[in-house]
Amino acid sequence: MNYPTKGTQDPCLDIRNLSFTYQSWKKEKNSPVLAGLDLRLEHKSKTLLLAPFDRGKSTLARIISGLCPKYLPGALEGSVHICGKDLANTEPWELLLDCGYVSQNPQEQFVALSVEDEIAFPLEALGLTRVEIARRVDSALVNWGLDDLRTSSQQELSGGERKRVLLAVQQAIHPHFWVLDESFDDLDRSWREYLTTLIREGEGTTLVLASRYLEQFEDLFDQFALLDEGKIRFGEKAEILHSFSILCGDELPNPLNDQKILIQDEHTLVCSSLLTVRIRISTLEAKPFKLSVPSFTITSGDLVTLVGPNGSGKSTFSRLLCGLDEPKEGTFTLDGEEMNQRELNRSVGYLFQNPDLQIFLPTVREELSWSLKRRKDLNDRQVDAMVCECATLFGLDLEETPSTMSYPLRKALQAAVYYLLDRPFYILDELDNALTYSVALSIIALLRRNGAGILLITHDRKFARLVSETTYAIEAGILERA
Amino acid sequence: MTTNTFVAGDGFLYRMDPRAKIMAMLLVCVFLFLGITLEGLYATVVLLILVGSVNTGIQHTGRTFKSILPMLIFMVLFMPFNVRGGESLISIGSFTLITREGALQAARLGGRFIGITYACTLLFATTPMTDVMLGLRWYRLPYKASLVVTLAFTYIPFIADSFIQITESHRLREGGDLEKKRSVFKRLKDLLPTLTSALVVALRSIPYLAMSLEQRGFGRKEKRTSYHSLDSYRHTFTDFLISFTIPIVLWLIFKA
Repeated sequence: MNYPTKGTQDPCLDIRNLSFTYQSWKKEKNSPVLAGLDLRLEHKSKTLLLAPFDRGKSTLARIISGLCPKYLPGALEGSVHICGKDLANTEPWELLLDCGYVSQNPQEQFVALSVEDEIAFPLEALGLTRVEIARRVDSALVNWGLDDLRTSSQQELSGGERKRVLLAVQQAIHPHFWVLDESFDDLDRSWREYLTTLIREGEGTTLVLASRYLEQFEDLFDQFALLDEGKIRFGEKAEILHSFSILCGDELPNPLNDQKILIQDEHTLVCSSLLTVRIRISTLEAKPFKLSVPSFTITSGDLVTLVGPNGSGKSTFSRLLCGLDEPKEGTFTLDGEEMNQRELNRSVGYLFQNPDLQIFLPTVREELSWSLKRRKDLNDRQVDAMVCECATLFGLDLEETPSTMSYPLRKALQAAVYYLLDRPFYILDELDNALTYSVALSIIALLRRNGAGILLITHDRKFARLVSETTYAIEAGILERA
Repeated sequence: MTTNTFVAGDGFLYRMDPRAKIMAMLLVCVFLFLGITLEGLYATVVLLILVGSVNTGIQHTGRTFKSILPMLIFMVLFMPFNVRGGESLISIGSFTLITREGALQAARLGGRFIGITYACTLLFATTPMTDVMLGLRWYRLPYKASLVVTLAFTYIPFIADSFIQITESHRLREGGDLEKKRSVFKRLKDLLPTLTSALVVALRSIPYLAMSLEQRGFGRKEKRTSYHSLDSYRHTFTDFLISFTIPIVLWLIFKA
């Protein structure tokens, strides 16, 4: 594919005086997410746009992709041009070859029923021949290690595998301009490195939106920018990283260091000789997925991390540990007594990778009070007091509608819901995705302050080091202490 | 935002041409509404269940039945009360509760409901949705209409999936001590917020689905091509013959 060269014609992206305010569903008007934003990206430029959560990163990405305000209503002012096309007069499908957007939440972008069909769908829309579609599909599947999952449906994929599918879709379409919203999250180290190589060697224009500076970003970008207070500011790398670090609170002390925790009753949860087997219903060819856990122990107050490649079984183990699934073999004991699934449900809080699978109610208040109202030992006044205190701790507005909150705020809400449950153990499945280290560490500290044992699943080694030195790893279907 | 209905397998239905399977499904559904005996209706239902068990496995067949069971119970329980005329079967004093005609109508309705469910399940569980779509397009259904049909059949399981996820989430969020066995009334009461949440999740996902479809090029002016084809199905004529023959034979045997 021939890409336009730098400075020869219209810029790849030209945003002028862009302001955007989401439509309010309440009496009060929302404050603008973007206010007088200007952004110009030349062809072939590679830009890292950093912003702490809830500053409008995803909104900007959706505006650039032509999806907002069409599907997420709000008042938009200013102009956006991509490769010379005015987005005010352009439909999203007309941007297929100009702009490829990978969303922060992979689940919201799936349209087809299998991995290969997901990749083929836009190629069919482009009217390519069957031979060309097959060539591109095969190539994208091989490049992103998805060949074995070709016929799998998205329900059978892990979070990281879903992200890889969406990146494979973009690779197959080959648009001029890639907008990657937290695309490095969910990916394990090897796939982050592959994406880094792809961006470095790619001839197109890339805009990466991130809320963390990862080691993979080193020497990858030629421009650095910061999004704050609705505006974008470019600068030298060191200066932008410094400002970003201040905004994220990275210079604040790690709340987990020397944290004083109140352990009222010390508990020990032990898993012995676990084995689980899962069959993929969408294909006869794939081998059944197996996970074996010879021994795993966690005690009150512990901070343990679990690492492993995408699809290795981290979430599968989490579902077993909290009693959502039953293992084929093996036992769970709490303080020496064997536990059934229902007892595990009440002892281990599991924060899913995707917060949207755990929050459903119309307001933050209702979401936080749902479990408390079912407790007979609490009256309404006590429930209200606990809910208010919790909302303050997690920085949540009680009357806010969860579905219109930003992704990281939804993650904070998910954590707040579990904080109120006061479980002896918590599993945090990639909590750090889309959160700054400071916010993620604060959430862990809050969940741990009453002595809960925490199992953190993460792909970010730097973050893992900040949390704990005790690490379990999954390799070749076996979970063992690293 | 869509859930795959296909269950991998290698039974004879998997090798059958999707165009013939669509035809067979439609004819079986029509047959269930023709004037046939009740015995014939249930014999056909049993046949469909057997074919399903052979092809997709007993477990899948059982799951399908479980998924329609609440609605089936609802229909069978309330239908007899709607038919007032005819021979009284159960009465309280002079008030007739259930008539023979009401019971027969409920049995017929239940049989048709199970039959249609299994006929559709057999098509969608043994045929990849892309092939169903190609089959529909072969019948000259426009691409957009085929997409709507296939999306509808994958969106319903998505709502069911959301329901399961929400139930799991609620299970993990139960507060207080472990309760002993909950009463049926309490269970029904607990079901309401889960059902509401599942519907909200489903409704909320609609704009995202539309957004993703447009972003993937749905709506472009180019003539859409297809990655898949139906060329691999080799016995189209035989398959069509079977699709026509079986419903006709069933009708000849079981007509009232």
